[in-house]
Amino acid sequence: MTGGIVIKTKIIPALLTAGVLCAGQSALAHHPFAAEYDAEKPVTLTGTLSRMEWVNPHSWIYLDVKQPDGTVQKWTIESSGPGAMSRRGLKKTDFVAGMSLVVKGYQGRQKPAIANGRTLVLADGRSFYIGTVGGPNDGADK
Amino acid sequence: MSQAYRESLWLFAVTQALHLVAVSAFLGAILIVDLRLLGRGSDRQSHVGIARSAQRVLVWAGPAVLATGIPQFTANALRYYASPVFAFKMGLLAAALVFTVTVRRRVAGGDGDRLPTWISRAVGAVSIALWMGVAISGRWIGFSE
Amino acid sequence: MPSILPALEWLEALAWATAIRESNWGYPIMETAHVASIVAFAGLVMVMDLRLVGLAFAQTPLTRIQRPLFPWQMAGFALSGVTGLLLFVVDPLRYYGNVFFRVKLVLLALAGFNALGFHLTIFRTVGRWDEDPLAPKTARLAGAVSLLFWAAIIVSGRLIASNWFD
Repeated sequence: MTGGIVIKTKIIPALLTAGVLCAGQSALAHHPFAAEYDAEKPVTLTGTLSRMEWVNPHSWIYLDVKQPDGTVQKWTIESSGPGAMSRRGLKKTDFVAGMSLVVKGYQGRQKPAIANGRTLVLADGRSFYIGTVGGPNDGADK
Repeated sequence: MSQAYRESLWLFAVTQALHLVAVSAFLGAILIVDLRLLGRGSDRQSHVGIARSAQRVLVWAGPAVLATGIPQFTANALRYYASPVFAFKMGLLAAALVFTVTVRRRVAGGDGDRLPTWISRAVGAVSIALWMGVAISGRWIGFSE
Repeated sequence: MPSILPALEWLEALAWATAIRESNWGYPIMETAHVASIVAFAGLVMVMDLRLVGLAFAQTPLTRIQRPLFPWQMAGFALSGVTGLLLFVVDPLRYYGNVFFRVKLVLLALAGFNALGFHLTIFRTVGRWDEDPLAPKTARLAGAVSLLFWAAIIVSGRLIASNWFD
């Protein structure tokens, strides 16, 4: 098959199909992030660490957040896996139950007390990017 | 509103899944020729016919890979654009394409029977390394934030 | 029927399962090897099925395609299986409950039965129709079913990661 025929009968239809698939996906909500978390609802959670699941593919931070009325709200924060955490300077041993933490992220859609973590601030003031792929600005909020 | 987001999540995941099916068919057509190059020395007659038939499969599978790959890129263009692993994958892809339509085409075709066996084997090995490298680095993008 | 959950919890608690789960590189390498070996091995199955169905490689006798590919298909399947097992123990309870994981396993079993049935029956007579561009109807059916199953296995495998029905 000559190159010209391939371009006409195969490549162009392929590009058109790609175009249709692109158009079918709405502007913002492509990556799985956007279907589970709301980029319009940033949260800053200050609390104590209940436990840290240092696991692949994504880690899970369980935070007890004290509310103004005295009750404690339990939050689950999805964050990066062990490899990414290590590359950013965190260790499993940095997470001790009972320690104070601040986590910034985006709230979950269906499950309100879940968030996608972006920034972690330890008690000593050190701040780390803990985001997983996707999300607004594609990591520009590091 | 969240219904639309749910549906687009579905579309992204299924597009990616179909990309893997197309990649699989593409790789099969690549590997069937490369494996023969690796094992050259026996069964010479059928090599050329298989290479030609494999090329016909590539002509279908290749565009399918494109059609399912491009939407993934546009869905998260900033992320991929900034990713060194994605750049590496595209570089390998370019190298693989050039290698396939130049060196490998000659060696897998009729000329190949006149060349020493080690050249066929080397070409087969390089082709496998390049194309599997594209597939592997594609998956690795997700691990390289 | 006794519950499988204690067995899954035991698997999850194994030292090496925990090591992979908490690894920096181990899990990414395992998962990438799993995906890469699947697409490669399934691809080899697909081109063989394309010949069986008569859509490609029609001038080449079936056995000239099937025989050289078979050991590579088995090697790829073995690597997929081993890496799959190692990935499973990272989160056995979650995968066990995941609908796409279950669908994938069922499809794998069905694909296996299809292949076995093909080899034990119509393939026995391959000497007679090896060079025919159009194989006998049952052979073409087995090839078509195989193509469909392997595409579906790949799709359901990818969808495991999407937590829609959690």
